[in-house]
Amino acid sequence: MASSKASRLGEEVWKTRMDKVNAELVVLTYGTIVAQLCKDFDSDYIEVNKQLDKMGYNIGLRLIDDYLAKSNTMRRCSNFRETAEMIARVGFKIFLNITPTVTNWTSDGKQFSLIFDENPFADFVELPDDGRAQDELWYSNILCGVLRGALEMVQMQVEAHFVSDVLRGNDTTEMRITLIRYIDDELPPEDD
Amino acid sequence: MSHVGSGKAASSKEQTGLRYPSNGKTIYHRPLNRTKTAELSQAAFAYLFSEMVIYAQRRVAGIQELEKRLNLQGHPIGLKLLDLLLLREPPRSQTRPLTIIALLHFIKINVWTHLFGRQADRLEKSSNPDTPDEYMIVDNEPLVNAYISVPREMSQLNCAAFVAGIIEGVCDGAMFPARVTAHTVGGKEEGEMWPGKTVFLVKFQPEVLEREALLGKG
Amino acid sequence: MSYYFAIIGTQDNPLFEHEFGTSKQGGDGQARFGDQARHLNQFVLHSSLDIVEEVQWTTGQLYLKVIDKFFTSYISCFMTGGNVKFLLLHQPNATASAPAAGTPGAASTSSASRSSTAVGANPTSPQTEEAIKNFFYEVYDNYVKAIMNPFYKANMEIKSPVFRQRVAAAGRKYL
Repeated sequence: MASSKASRLGEEVWKTRMDKVNAELVVLTYGTIVAQLCKDFDSDYIEVNKQLDKMGYNIGLRLIDDYLAKSNTMRRCSNFRETAEMIARVGFKIFLNITPTVTNWTSDGKQFSLIFDENPFADFVELPDDGRAQDELWYSNILCGVLRGALEMVQMQVEAHFVSDVLRGNDTTEMRITLIRYIDDELPPEDD
Repeated sequence: MSHVGSGKAASSKEQTGLRYPSNGKTIYHRPLNRTKTAELSQAAFAYLFSEMVIYAQRRVAGIQELEKRLNLQGHPIGLKLLDLLLLREPPRSQTRPLTIIALLHFIKINVWTHLFGRQADRLEKSSNPDTPDEYMIVDNEPLVNAYISVPREMSQLNCAAFVAGIIEGVCDGAMFPARVTAHTVGGKEEGEMWPGKTVFLVKFQPEVLEREALLGKG
Repeated sequence: MSYYFAIIGTQDNPLFEHEFGTSKQGGDGQARFGDQARHLNQFVLHSSLDIVEEVQWTTGQLYLKVIDKFFTSYISCFMTGGNVKFLLLHQPNATASAPAAGTPGAASTSSASRSSTAVGANPTSPQTEEAIKNFFYEVYDNYVKAIMNPFYKANMEIKSPVFRQRVAAAGRKYL
């Protein structure tokens, strides 16, 4: 699907087919999740990142059905580039009303970046000034897990991680996504 | 009281431990009203909330502990909303609630409308003479229950426990300490109008009623 | 005029403190508390909390104006929704003689000609009240931004240097 068509689809689904809630309810809920994890894991931010990724993965496994149903796309994306555009213009749009920019493709077309000009989860947030949070915590890491889980359900094994975050003092918030392989349906081994 | 490092009115910037983007934007630069009417998908809330519950379930033993934990997670949100909503009020109505009724109206109207897009349905005082400290906020169709394809972890009671925690945070913050619990009372019979009806029971501490009585006389 | 500003939490614990002087009328923004006064300031503010507790139930206003006085120091108060108190102790500088305590218009000799509109020269004038109110509201805006942070917990100290800069800027702007 062409990018502009994807944008129109995302906009239409967001406007007409998604029930909405006050953004601050969602943002505050996410904030309480992260704060609770930091407390439970005693500010072991590496562990918190892992937990957020796991939670995101669980969400992704379920969210994909929602996405497919709402976006009404019957056919599979023909290549990874198209997948990237759909993620940015439809996926993020219909759930979070944002459209990150797809960029920084590698020449083999297997790796790209998502640049987030807006990140609703990060509203109101300032990381703890404990000398570690800004070096270790990826506040929005749940999003990496969501992508990983959702794409796995449509036969793509990907790896996703943040490389920069304005909450860490960087100028941009950027997530890097790599296609590891397409998952083929394998025939079950024959019974002996 | 203990001494807090007091800064002098120096014009030079103090050494900051946090890094900021080169545009210098911090949370203090962002206008508080920017996301006042912003929206996200209900699905986003539902997914996040269900993960919150699943995670909590693994760390507690039993339904009551789970509800308590969810209540605790909602509490700080109530505290934040109290001042956020008050700050956003136009000057004429920007007042701290001084009575139980004023506080409950603030919750029924301001808090509910902000979180759920509409007022709560009913506010009642307990008619039981043994419990004059109990009030009920009734929501016929809690928004958080309206999401279809609810995973089993996200039962109505769990959502309501979280909201009860938010309410409790507002009460505690405003100096009306209370215990707030959620009860689903919607019947299961056919034709029941509000199957998901939820009652938030607000039970105020004795000192709140004592103060109320004292102020009433003044 | 010298100012001592504190934010007091719900456990009577200080969350933030800041001393400054007036920037108006050629003031250099530096506080001029004597050593003794400085030690007393915390104590004075703390003891005014009892009065705040009474006053807060008589009106729903956030800005409570002057609620206490200690010799030549006036204490103004602003109460947040969450029962956190902003207290501002304002004290005319020693060179500005205040002959009788509490006499309004007992302006300093140095600014006598402009005392009616001088913020700070008269601690209880309507202009001063208005200026302090504006100061408090600007601090309130920044305070709410600080507490909306999911990592901020009730009654935590506010340590952000950016917050401090904002309070200082509000002080320079209004006081």
